[in-house]
Amino acid sequence: MDHTCDLLVIGGGMAGLVAGSVASEAGLSTILLRKGQSATAFSSGAIDVIGYLPEASEPFTSPKEGLTAIAGLYPLHPYSILGYGENIEPENVVSEIIGRTQESISWLKKNLRNTVASLYGDFKRNIFPITILGTTKPTCLVQKTMYSETLHKDEENVLLFAGFQGNADFKPTAAAKTYLEDRISLGEPPRRVGNCTLRVSPFSKSYNVSSIEIARHMDHESSIDGLAEQLKPQVEQLGATHVALPPVLGIRKALANRQNLEEKIGAEVFELLGFPPSVPGLRLQLALDEVYRKKGGKMFVGHEAVSYERNETNLTRVTARTPHREVKIKPKAVILSSGKYIGGGLRGDENGIRETIFGLMTVTDAYTSAETIVPSRFTNRIAISPEGQPVNSCGLTLDPHFRPVDDDGVEWASNLYSAGAVLAGYDYSVEKSGLGVAAMSGYSAAKNAIDFIREVT
Amino acid sequence: MNEDEAFEYAKNTLRQEKITPYHPHEFETVKSVESCINCGLCINHCPVVAAVGVDRFSGPRSIAVELSRSPPEFWSTADIVYLCTGCGTCREVCPKNVNIPEVVNLIRARIFEHRPDLVPKGFHNLHEVLTEYNLAFKPWDDIEEKNESRDMRLERLGLPFIEDRTLEEAEVLFYPGCQAEERAQEVREAAKVILDYFDVDYAQLNEMSCCGLPARLMGDHKTDQVLTKHLEKKVKALGVKTIVTSCAGCTSSLSDISNHENWGIPAVHLLEFLVEEIGLEKLQSAMKDSSATSKVHVSVHDPCHLIRHTSRQITEYALDILRQIPGVRVTTSEAYDSCCGGGGLVSYHSSDVANAVVKENLEAIAKTGTDRLVTPCPLCTAQIETNLFKAGSSVEVDDLTVFIAQKLPKKG
Repeated sequence: MDHTCDLLVIGGGMAGLVAGSVASEAGLSTILLRKGQSATAFSSGAIDVIGYLPEASEPFTSPKEGLTAIAGLYPLHPYSILGYGENIEPENVVSEIIGRTQESISWLKKNLRNTVASLYGDFKRNIFPITILGTTKPTCLVQKTMYSETLHKDEENVLLFAGFQGNADFKPTAAAKTYLEDRISLGEPPRRVGNCTLRVSPFSKSYNVSSIEIARHMDHESSIDGLAEQLKPQVEQLGATHVALPPVLGIRKALANRQNLEEKIGAEVFELLGFPPSVPGLRLQLALDEVYRKKGGKMFVGHEAVSYERNETNLTRVTARTPHREVKIKPKAVILSSGKYIGGGLRGDENGIRETIFGLMTVTDAYTSAETIVPSRFTNRIAISPEGQPVNSCGLTLDPHFRPVDDDGVEWASNLYSAGAVLAGYDYSVEKSGLGVAAMSGYSAAKNAIDFIREVT
Repeated sequence: MNEDEAFEYAKNTLRQEKITPYHPHEFETVKSVESCINCGLCINHCPVVAAVGVDRFSGPRSIAVELSRSPPEFWSTADIVYLCTGCGTCREVCPKNVNIPEVVNLIRARIFEHRPDLVPKGFHNLHEVLTEYNLAFKPWDDIEEKNESRDMRLERLGLPFIEDRTLEEAEVLFYPGCQAEERAQEVREAAKVILDYFDVDYAQLNEMSCCGLPARLMGDHKTDQVLTKHLEKKVKALGVKTIVTSCAGCTSSLSDISNHENWGIPAVHLLEFLVEEIGLEKLQSAMKDSSATSKVHVSVHDPCHLIRHTSRQITEYALDILRQIPGVRVTTSEAYDSCCGGGGLVSYHSSDVANAVVKENLEAIAKTGTDRLVTPCPLCTAQIETNLFKAGSSVEVDDLTVFIAQKLPKKG
């Protein structure tokens, strides 16, 4: 059956859901296609705006500082595209980039308020939440359950790392050691840490317990009581003022669980940043889905965009497939936010790197063609290197309206916009900028698409 | 030894080593496993993992990984591969489109062929029934008793009886599926009431024959093929243009068969037929004359075989249809699309797992405060109804086809 809509969004991660929500909020009829869970769901859930410059060892203290550096050094970075809008004086480019990014981050924070992923932090500074390895990482926003404001403030603070028996994701002994070494070298509190192992048995076994099982278990009535009973003596014995748990405090009730646990044990509790696929990533995905649906957006889950029709200037129709059916959608504009290699928006093989739906031009971080780049030759031998992985910077290149361009520099279609990881010019894993770029570009692409749709109708 | 002899020789060695080469139609599924990036998102969403934990059911990823990493000694997965309910959630959430439900079928087929000792006992009985009667359930011994049971059901539901239409030719084949043929007869009858009301030129099979889904799910490849061929002959003899079914499992199964066997005859669920062929306008004007005006508060359960194996648009149709019926209020359950546990033949051998999976639905249904659950699948209906009853719930369960038929006015 055929559908018509104002805006079609392809991809249901951060970029697509922000774009779809912004468009729905503006009163447009929006359909979003999702063929699978996104890299957002897979992520640690931290909303990084910009943490590092590639090859730099010192993190930025604020997104503003980072964006200023990006604007100066990387003129084709997705953030820098914000500075190419019409009527922007050269001296205002940096403030435009910062202002527009801040606007999208504030929008995100506001809209995730009172969801299962309500956020802590603001655009003014980067914060440094602790990971399950005991290290810290620069980010702009984390979920409210994942940060303690007071931890680093008092000399007398004592932090207890508490893990769960049979849960291989987190080793409290190792995390405590790494964290303490870090604090000693910085000469900052807390000066005492401890660790302990708790037992939860969602299926009456205390071995082979996955993080998602513990999180689900925490959402059940009285699970927190049991946890508090075990945790309280440990807190008292160590004199702990803070407790760090792996990110398993719940899926629907994490925030309430945190408060409940804090009251019962008399210490501040927070979750660490975890490895993918993390529970906070799942919470973020659920929250973004809810925001989009509440604004009136329609989501076609299990639908994969497989083909399209176009005329001289415009994309006219997109066909989406499910296991046994097809739907045709006639949109006025389209936002492509199909992700990178995990999401499936880009595909790399021995023939080169391709955009999977429209066959759009792909480029490298140096803005040369990536169409014949073989991924294995465009990869660092060291998996986690400060230089990053060149394949991660490949993707689409955009015009100032966030429309993908062809090799002649002209937009591929006047009604196709793009956002998120499918874009070229940044390596999220090195920069710590993944969800920030996704939110900013989703927000900006939507604003441009809204203007376009209003113009044509 | 010439080339052909060498090929035969190699084939025989495979047989001795209990290896079945992949069939061409399995290539796509096998290839999809190569795309697995081991991310584990499927584990976070699998309803069986949620119900019994990773220690009992290690989850979809382990099934995919097992297939991609180990030599084809599929029997080593026998303790977990039969616990999959085949709901398709993993495939739907998979960023890389790994076709795990089909991987499960493929592994079960290898075990069925080479290690029948590891196949759950209940499946051997099912195999007997399927091969003897071409049905998933042993048919009634006495046709009179079957008809009596049907009439009692019709009377209880206030539905008229429409004579069977075993024509030589028709536009549409109405295919009830084994559950509605042998057990939930009211669903078959209700579908006939609807088709008759809208003057659809439909026929039924002179003798019901299973679509082969149960055989496929237990890995009985041969029986599956026999049933498919048998049904193909019957369908083609009727010269129908469309197959309409009231069963979610049959919808996806027949769509699949029709597609890869090139039948050229689309198979659709009755809900799709109502919206796309008959049209909501006709339904709406029919419902204006509905005498059943009493108010009812329902929630809808989305069957996996419709939403994840066919298309989620079909249950959107269900909601569109319910909106046309006067006096119906719909509240969405938190677990509206969560597997009822009745899939994958799990209840044939591990009813504890099947019942653990349905628990999530029961709790969510109770929370809705509705007095009725409707679902467009007779198998989901049976699974949820039984478990709600056992849990002492007062919520009634209706197959959606029956629910719609009840609301239609008498044909005048």
